Amino acid sequence: MGMMEKMEELTSTGAREYLTFRLDQEEYGIDILKVQEIRGYEPPTRVANAPDFIKGVVNLRGTIVPIVDMRLKFNCAKAEYDSFTVVIILNLRSRIVGIVVDSVSDVMELPPESLKAAPDIESVIDSGAVMGLGSLGERMLILLDIERLMSAPDMGLSSDE
Amino acid sequence: MSETHQDSGPGGDIDLSQFYQIFFEEAAENLDLMETMLLNLNLETADDEELNGIFRCAHSVKGGAATFGFSDVAELTHKMESLLDRLRRHELQPNSAMVDVLLESADASRSLLARHQSGDTSDAPPTGDLVRRIADLAAGNAAPAPVKAAPPPPPPVAAPKPTAPAVAVGARQLEIKVGPLTHPEQADAISELFRDIPGLGTIKTLNSDRSDFRVFSVETASTDDDLLDLFTFHVAREQIDIRAAAASAAPVAVEDNSHGFFDDAPGAPSAATPAAAPAPAEASAGYGFFDGSPGAPSAAPEPISIDSHVVEAKAGPKAPAKAPGASAAQPEAATIRVAISKVDQLINLVGELVITQAMLAQNSRALDPAVYQQLLTGLADLDRNTRDLQESVMSIRMIPMSIVFSRFPRMLRDLAGKLGKKVDFVTQGEATELDKGLVEKITDPLTHLVRNSCDHGIESPAERLAAGKPETGTITLSASHQGGSIVIEVRDDGKGLSREKILKKARDRGMDVSDQMSDADVWGLIFAPGFSTAEVVTDVSGRGVGMDVVKRNIAALNGTVEVDSAEGFGMRVAVRLPLTLAIMDGMSVGVGEEVYILPLSSVVESFQVKADAVSTVGQGSQLVKVRDEYMPVIELEKVFQVPRFDFDKNSDIMVVVEADGSRVVLLVDELLGQQQVVVKNLESNYRKVPNVSGATILGDGKVALILDTAALVRRSRH
Repeated sequence: MGMMEKMEELTSTGAREYLTFRLDQEEYGIDILKVQEIRGYEPPTRVANAPDFIKGVVNLRGTIVPIVDMRLKFNCAKAEYDSFTVVIILNLRSRIVGIVVDSVSDVMELPPESLKAAPDIESVIDSGAVMGLGSLGERMLILLDIERLMSAPDMGLSSDE
Repeated sequence: MSETHQDSGPGGDIDLSQFYQIFFEEAAENLDLMETMLLNLNLETADDEELNGIFRCAHSVKGGAATFGFSDVAELTHKMESLLDRLRRHELQPNSAMVDVLLESADASRSLLARHQSGDTSDAPPTGDLVRRIADLAAGNAAPAPVKAAPPPPPPVAAPKPTAPAVAVGARQLEIKVGPLTHPEQADAISELFRDIPGLGTIKTLNSDRSDFRVFSVETASTDDDLLDLFTFHVAREQIDIRAAAASAAPVAVEDNSHGFFDDAPGAPSAATPAAAPAPAEASAGYGFFDGSPGAPSAAPEPISIDSHVVEAKAGPKAPAKAPGASAAQPEAATIRVAISKVDQLINLVGELVITQAMLAQNSRALDPAVYQQLLTGLADLDRNTRDLQESVMSIRMIPMSIVFSRFPRMLRDLAGKLGKKVDFVTQGEATELDKGLVEKITDPLTHLVRNSCDHGIESPAERLAAGKPETGTITLSASHQGGSIVIEVRDDGKGLSREKILKKARDRGMDVSDQMSDADVWGLIFAPGFSTAEVVTDVSGRGVGMDVVKRNIAALNGTVEVDSAEGFGMRVAVRLPLTLAIMDGMSVGVGEEVYILPLSSVVESFQVKADAVSTVGQGSQLVKVRDEYMPVIELEKVFQVPRFDFDKNSDIMVVVEADGSRVVLLVDELLGQQQVVVKNLESNYRKVPNVSGATILGDGKVALILDTAALVRRSRH
């Protein structure tokens, strides 16, 4: 998908609500409709032979849900687990995944005009997974296509490689 | 209208029955709601909202009943609606008599609905009296009907058929003009309505002065609105013109007429309505009985009553027996259709309950039985009850094997015809139940086995005769429970497996075989990929894609396949499967800080290892000698890269597991116990994990992985 189309998709759907969260110093936003719930972090059951950012699986009321630590995935300097660490449970098209973030800040509505296309930059994030940048005064919000990010083969979340 | 529940309503093509259940549920809700509201109704200060609410309930029930053709209910609720309509428009002041009669009507509607729901075609509890009383009240007649004085016992008042034309709403003579119509034949359907719906009235087609108009003379007790509602199924409302006929018939005449009609109605009381003459006597007798023993309805002939116009003399013993029966026998369908997702959710919840229960049991273990006797007894009860509950819930998913078996006769017939063979197909144990999920997955492997039997097993008629066997071969498919598993066997009396052929074929394929192999091992060769001993590759089987797939599919279901054969006499393939995929007996083992679950079915034995028992081969693979047999050792710690924090502990317990016919020894730290575990799919949200078949939730809410012993065994081979 070209950058223009991505922006189009972003803006054509009108102002959406985003859940914003922090990873280290960066602020990210994901479509609120993909978020099922937010929970505290509890140590998951480790799964052998998984990449380090997959912390393991937890029991979410009877469902086995994998937990991805976004800080490890995005190579953050530190990934500590304390009482402030939060897990965002995402309900993606076909699966439920939990992501570990430093903190959840806000739910905000972004008008289309405040969205900017992300320039092509070298980053650990697959550039296709960045939908755009939202400017909120001084702050910059990185809007993630979390669905795309989570279904990417390098996430190792699905069996079909 | 009399009761008419024919299965084809006006929309004959559409199967309405699928909506019946919804209607019954809704109607029951509405009636309950109405009852509550009636009971709470303050007669002096009844406000519009309350009255409107009650009206809406009656209206909804009526609408539904009319749509589904439960005309008796529709009739009754329609009358209720008329009364309520006048109340809400403040044309009448609500009084307790009205509430009483409305409550009774709600009861009567319930029992009528129950009858429809249960498909009971016997006499309907008559509602004519209620209808008449409502009509009286609706007409502004303050004085309650005489029967009111003696409220009838639970079974609704017996009375003539619902449409009993009470004087107040007596039958009317109408002239109905329909048109202009491009197809006047459409209007003829209206005549059919009168024929099909007992109690609606009578209709006569009159000559029309215009060809695009039809004119009918109608005699009915129904209101114009009702008629219009009915007719609009066939012609547009605007095209119908209803007018009172010039001269209304005398009420008495109408009465006779209607009675004549009722007698013909399906389900009309078998004891014909007696002549009007004995009526008063009957009626007073009824009252006498009522006054005397209102509480003993079943003892006496159906009480009844009313005025001299309308008399019901139902066959005594029959009606009372029916009426209480109808209220006692709650509408009960033999089966219900439920979305599988609901059942799965229920199973999930029960699974959670089992986990909670296990947690409680675990936490209470340390308690002093002397002090906490009651608590512990309660927990023991909880344990038993959750187990029972789990079993019952699991049984919902069970479906009989006949579902699978039923597809084979046809398939075999076609197949045998194609191959020029004669085959009898015998099934045994069709009633054996199996988890629905398993049934779906076992069908294909079974199909393959049955085809194989027919193609490779059964000989041609000529060969069979030559071998001294009956011309017709037999393939038997049987299912039975054996312990916690189900065993499905495919047997045939064909030529069986040939040891020599299999060995030769194996050698041709470069497999390492010897003549000394045991029969079981030889038969096992047919499960090797690409192995087929069929001499001719047919379009049925013989391409060698097959038995290995069968075996793999069955192993994926935690099942096993056994083959037994006698050359010249036939062969038997037995598939052994767990009863359900959702619950498994597991053994929990500890490795480092982690807990893993082994399927108990594959655990053979466990023992403490002696340091000198393990020997290595080629600096890598470890072997352990268990009673004269060397088995490969798999260290779970290594396979699962278990981090070790406590170096004092190490794996010194060996668990022998068997899968795919071979055994390996798993090295673990400790054995934690045996428990039933609810098997959860890891792949629904995650991915396939090597050597892990699934996950479960432990007593403390943590996830534990279930080991795939077959994969571990395979791993040891490479």
